[in-house]
Amino acid sequence: MRLGIVRGHVVLNPAIPELTGKTLVVLEPVTMANLKAKNGLAGGKSLVAVDGLGAAKGQMVAFTEGREAANPFWPKQVPVDAYCTLIIDTITTGNNQQQGSEVKQ
Amino acid sequence: MFLARIDGTVVPAAKHDSLEGCRFLIAQRLEADGSYGAEPVIVVDWMGAGQGQTVMISNDGDIARERYGNTTPARMVVAGLVDHVHIPQPRSTGRAA
Repeated sequence: MRLGIVRGHVVLNPAIPELTGKTLVVLEPVTMANLKAKNGLAGGKSLVAVDGLGAAKGQMVAFTEGREAANPFWPKQVPVDAYCTLIIDTITTGNNQQQGSEVKQ
Repeated sequence: MFLARIDGTVVPAAKHDSLEGCRFLIAQRLEADGSYGAEPVIVVDWMGAGQGQTVMISNDGDIARERYGNTTPARMVVAGLVDHVHIPQPRSTGRAA
């Protein structure tokens, strides 16, 4: 899983039936330099992921990529390749604690 | 599979239902030259990896699926703790460059 910051939501109309009713969020992956700097920036290449947890704009999430991203919909076959698996509360590295909600909007 | 150094722990505010009770760590990918990857990764751990430890991470979800069920989105798991890595220096050809 990689870390990403929710930058917004996507609404499809029309959409293929497999994707109707699913929440789509725009994520910006977080680089290590930005995570350490705690500057609220992400810095990666944006992507769209399915979110079943209700992540809000500005929240940090961990997202799964690849085939496993479609597992939550098993046994249905859905064309999903990114899925928000965790909403981050706290990341602790050494003596350094960081809240997932500290990121800038 | 790749080598990574454990940087710390992650406490989720919400997680996929299949991952109740899981331990999540933040890790940095290690390259052969000793440098680190640009983006951190979040991994599932049941081996008890500690901060600063070098681990091998499997980037395949099959083992997580076996453990947490067919609906789990978990993919990267700590497959083992690294005892030591041996990377020999490039062999000299014996000729002057």
